Amino acid sequence: MSLIPFRTKRSSGMEPANLATISDFRNEMNRLFEGFLNRPSWGASWFETAEPGTWMPAIDMQESDAEIHVRAELPGIDPKDVDVSVSEDRLLISGEKKSEAERTTDGWTHRESHYGSFSRAIPLPESVDPAKVTARYDKGVLTVELKKSPTSTSRKVPVMAK
Amino acid sequence: MVTTQSSPTPTPTPAAAPAAEPSLIYQPNVDICDLGTEVLLVLDMPGAAATSCDVSFEEGVLTVQAQVPPRQLPGRQLVQEYGIGDYRRAFRLGDGFDASLITAEYRRGVLTIHVPRLAAVQPRKIEVRPA
Repeated sequence: MSLIPFRTKRSSGMEPANLATISDFRNEMNRLFEGFLNRPSWGASWFETAEPGTWMPAIDMQESDAEIHVRAELPGIDPKDVDVSVSEDRLLISGEKKSEAERTTDGWTHRESHYGSFSRAIPLPESVDPAKVTARYDKGVLTVELKKSPTSTSRKVPVMAK
Repeated sequence: MVTTQSSPTPTPTPAAAPAAEPSLIYQPNVDICDLGTEVLLVLDMPGAAATSCDVSFEEGVLTVQAQVPPRQLPGRQLVQEYGIGDYRRAFRLGDGFDASLITAEYRRGVLTIHVPRLAAVQPRKIEVRPA
């Protein structure tokens, strides 16, 4: 029996296919870290989880002087199946994603998407005017525009000296 | 059968496109359903422009790509749970599919691809006649 010499294969280790795999892995890790690190410190719990049997859409939130924009990724949903409700300091997005698979109950060999009921309660950083909320659904993305309530305008408080 | 696989081509490097900022590329989630006469690939690609969806088939690999326009909302980002980037995913098809009849439609952020089986390999019922 002869020993097989151990050696590195410089030429075969970094072929395009492997590079692509590494690139995909890096992208996925970036995505995970983005979601983890960009959570608001003022709002949602780090351990916020969906109710059993339901799922939570991923969201984006942006704030300008007068408005708050919330976007949620909801691919494949009939806009009629989405409910958006607003209180002064909370936005609730809920609904149901019906499966394309309703045409067949079996035959699914690979599933990565979420189906069924979803719900997401989003604490808002400032009070908003519930009467001035618009929501639109386009290309699988729900965008909700909320106008800040005029009464919520921040006010400078003088510090009294004794 | 259809198997998911990494894209056969590497991500474009900054050297290939020095002027453009290299954008992130995401793998869309996929559901695969075998309907007997065809296999359905259902890919979640929210935000993709319908006209940018590109489905190609070459050497047994079905590749899906789509561009997503960048965010254009004003103001300060408070929460960012998902990234914006283009989509790309590739699937290796086994034998027995008719690549010339592959069709795809994009609706509500979901790309559905129909990959029909060759008629010769489609399941069929054989009638038993009385003698």
